[in-house]
Amino acid sequence: MSLKTPVLDTEVIVTGVPQSKRRRQLRRTAESYAFLSPTMILLFVLMIIPIVMVIGYSLQDGAIIGKDHEFVGLDNYMAVLTNPSFWNATSNTVIFTVTSVVAHLIIGLGFAMMLNSTLIGAVPRAIFRGLYVLPWLFTVAVIAVLWRMLLAPNGVINFLLNTNIEWLASPQLALGTVTFINIWAGYPFFMVSLLAGLQGIPSDLYEAASIDGAGPVQRFWNVTVPQLRPIIVSLVLLDLIWTSQQFALIWMTTGGGPINVTEVLSTFTYKLAFAKYDFSQAATSAVLVLLMSMVLAVFYVRHQKARD
Amino acid sequence: MTRAGQGHSKALKIAGAAIAAGSLMLVTGCSGGSSDGATGDAGGDVTIEFAQWWEPELPDGEFRALIDKFEAENPGITVELVSGPYASTKEQLFAGAASGTMPDVVGLDGAWVNDFASQGVIANLTDLMADAGYDDSQLASQIQVDGGTYMIPVVNFVYPMFTNDDLLAEAGVTTPPTNRTEFADAAQKVTALGGDVSGWVLPLSLEAPNGVQNDVMSWVWASGGSMLNDGQPDLTNADVTSAVDYIQGLWDDGVIAAGSFTMKEQDKVEEFTNGRVGMMIDSLAHINLIRETNPDLNFSISAIPAEDGYDGERGIPYASWGIGVAENSEHKDAAFKLVSFLMSEDVNSELSTMANAFPGNTQSVPDFVNDDELFKTAFDIYQASYPANEFTGLPVAEELMRLFGEQLQAALDGQQSVDEALQKAQDAWVAEF
Amino acid sequence: MAMSIQTRTRAARVGLVIGLLIGAVFAAGPVLWMLSNSFKSNTEIFELPPRLITESFSLDAYIAIFTDPETVRFFINSYVVAFAVTALTLLVAIQAAYALSRFDFRGKRVLNVIIVSVQAVPPITLLIPYFGLMVGLGLYNTYAALILTYMVFTLPYAIIMMTGYFNTLPKELDEAVRVDGAGSMTALWRVLVPISVPGIVSVGIYTFMIAWNEYLFALTLTRTIDMRTVPIGIQLLMGQHSYEWNQIMAMSVLGSIPVLILFLFFQRYFISGLTAGSVKS
Repeated sequence: MSLKTPVLDTEVIVTGVPQSKRRRQLRRTAESYAFLSPTMILLFVLMIIPIVMVIGYSLQDGAIIGKDHEFVGLDNYMAVLTNPSFWNATSNTVIFTVTSVVAHLIIGLGFAMMLNSTLIGAVPRAIFRGLYVLPWLFTVAVIAVLWRMLLAPNGVINFLLNTNIEWLASPQLALGTVTFINIWAGYPFFMVSLLAGLQGIPSDLYEAASIDGAGPVQRFWNVTVPQLRPIIVSLVLLDLIWTSQQFALIWMTTGGGPINVTEVLSTFTYKLAFAKYDFSQAATSAVLVLLMSMVLAVFYVRHQKARD
Repeated sequence: MTRAGQGHSKALKIAGAAIAAGSLMLVTGCSGGSSDGATGDAGGDVTIEFAQWWEPELPDGEFRALIDKFEAENPGITVELVSGPYASTKEQLFAGAASGTMPDVVGLDGAWVNDFASQGVIANLTDLMADAGYDDSQLASQIQVDGGTYMIPVVNFVYPMFTNDDLLAEAGVTTPPTNRTEFADAAQKVTALGGDVSGWVLPLSLEAPNGVQNDVMSWVWASGGSMLNDGQPDLTNADVTSAVDYIQGLWDDGVIAAGSFTMKEQDKVEEFTNGRVGMMIDSLAHINLIRETNPDLNFSISAIPAEDGYDGERGIPYASWGIGVAENSEHKDAAFKLVSFLMSEDVNSELSTMANAFPGNTQSVPDFVNDDELFKTAFDIYQASYPANEFTGLPVAEELMRLFGEQLQAALDGQQSVDEALQKAQDAWVAEF
Repeated sequence: MAMSIQTRTRAARVGLVIGLLIGAVFAAGPVLWMLSNSFKSNTEIFELPPRLITESFSLDAYIAIFTDPETVRFFINSYVVAFAVTALTLLVAIQAAYALSRFDFRGKRVLNVIIVSVQAVPPITLLIPYFGLMVGLGLYNTYAALILTYMVFTLPYAIIMMTGYFNTLPKELDEAVRVDGAGSMTALWRVLVPISVPGIVSVGIYTFMIAWNEYLFALTLTRTIDMRTVPIGIQLLMGQHSYEWNQIMAMSVLGSIPVLILFLFFQRYFISGLTAGSVKS
């Protein structure tokens, strides 16, 4: 509720009785929490409890598997933060994530706008919509297997390009290749959400802009983008968090290799947990990832608040 | 709001409510199978669970039939087979152990034994054998940690060398190579055939790093060498250095198929089956697979080449389907009965035949050995060699393979010398011991 | 003047079609390859040069899948879980998004941060404590375990997206209804929801898809073969010693069809004239 525009005091109008501001605010708060209660119960019971446990593990030694669990404070954090592999994984994760999200946005928005255009008929548009959403439909294991096949040195892509490039096995190309596969697998998320968003832009805004002499590019930047901003911000936030969690795609295509060029935080954490059986450090790595994502979350929420 | 809008919203509301109500009923009402662990009913009937990845890989229904035989011989014990994808088995067993839902009998890989044993997840089979009065003389091997047996290999998949005879003949090589010089020579000749053909294939994927075990260390063991010294890492010794130098040589000669650093075992087999690779070290389990996939391929089995002039006993790498019992199983005696059943002479023969593997029971002989030329050759090699897999029973064995693999990749890529790679790998290994 | 507009439009249309075709190759090319492989024998999948259609074109892989009762059960389980998750998540998320979009209250920012952050914990570390929790609640190997788990995974996404969509709708809309004496529920369900149908549909489809394609928790939370889902079924074909390539491809194709149908069926809500222009002025 903005303090700038005068708010109709509906309750007074309806009931005729002026309620005290305090009481109204309390009722609003109670109402809000009522709407949020199923969410809160579900998240608290099923998510907060395990997350707290994970934080607990990160402060112990020999979590889960060890015979004795000792409280060691921040030792695990020191161990992880001074591990050069952790920082290598972090930098790879940042490159992988940011590139993916930016590409997702550009491709998703581009496709959405193409699919929203009235220059071609409804039926062709529907066909293309169906085709463009295809990468979304498959489970990650399948996408990994499929692209490994396509990108094998003796695979289809090399055949079509008449080359012999080791897309996934070359230390120089692997990270880029894996990022490309992730871009392919993930752009429909942006595309579909933005398509929905494009529907909500009133056509009179475009007409008004045209009348003012705005060309298509100016209409895009002055009408489309501002109208889509809330959705874009949400999409970017979600995709940043999700892409930084991406595990199966990278694990099943390159396993973090060659050497360590595609090692990201998720594979780093996995190896700590299930190859070294060091759950304490794995939990520590997880908490660090959580903290990094929480920074993003705080920025996002601040941004939402500023909008109000 | 328009009329259409109202109609739409009403329809949506009704649909939504119906689905929600229906799904709530499902949520509360539905569950599958038995949702708790092994149960013991009144009257002494016991149900035990056997978690493995074997059933999907064996011909349809045959494994279950074998288990049914067990149930027939042991009235009062019911066995529930829990099959899962191989790639996820380790995590699932772990999660099960951590939450107390681990099945009674578990299929194990030798690379996990040390870690599971030291964390108290699997039971000490030596004690169980003593309790049951079991005669273990027929067991070909037992995997031990600190003097106690924790896993018994049920069937063994050995890794001899496969050669594409057609390709070799085309390259002017008449018999499979028997030592390293001949191998390098043959590999070069095959690669010289051009196109997309290579002499050798080396899967070094870090996801499932058993290429280090089967395709790299096998060279060490084939010459009677070792990567350990008194149970401790010894990667800088002469055996390992000469083997890795040799592989570096092959790499520099360009005889290894492309894509090594992310290649997995399945990819290796596909390349060989499609006639693009001259020689490979691979599991016997693939003989029938290769035959089915490419009936025109003429290939033969031979021992992995040893160092020139070596004439001692050669080690042949193997991977097993192992079996263990969960520490917190409530029916360890019934569980062990299943173990001894699977290890008994006839059953083990039958299982080996099904799996195209060699038996874990010294007396068992699988059918295919008598029926099939290639398998007979393999069996002869097996019996003339000693089974060599020094990774079995090591702590964090898979991670050791991975650490070695990373250094080897860096060396092959030219980022460091072989000696540096071995030293770094040695340091990494020592840190884990 | 009229001529040049026509030419410009024609040029734009040609450019658009070219762009669409390139995009289609990018998007659908690999899927086409998958489809072609599902009709081949395992031998031909890795041959060089690769071909789209081979002599041994057959439906064997598909027949093997359809005639296996276990596999059919995988599909049924996936359907049940995915539909339930979608319906329930939408219900809960719409309510939550309404509160976050329309009201201001104490703890709103903290709650928002929590909702966003719960999905930021690497699932692999969450797996074991979460699994222990589920076992403790007695939900091991039940539909409820999967449904509740996926709800928890999809709620943050659904809430964030719905809040975003609601935020694009001016508050005067619900105020208008309140003046007539209606409460919050009416404002939400009678006013906001019908206008947000495109957003709800896109969130619903994605929720369905997450539930349909999830593997790790499905594997861990189910034990018996009659509770497993399609992604597990696909991975079961990836054995230790051999992959059933054509069956893997076939099952993936079959696994993608439900979501595709859902998308095609509901996509008219993406191109509706329901919302454009009718409300904002």
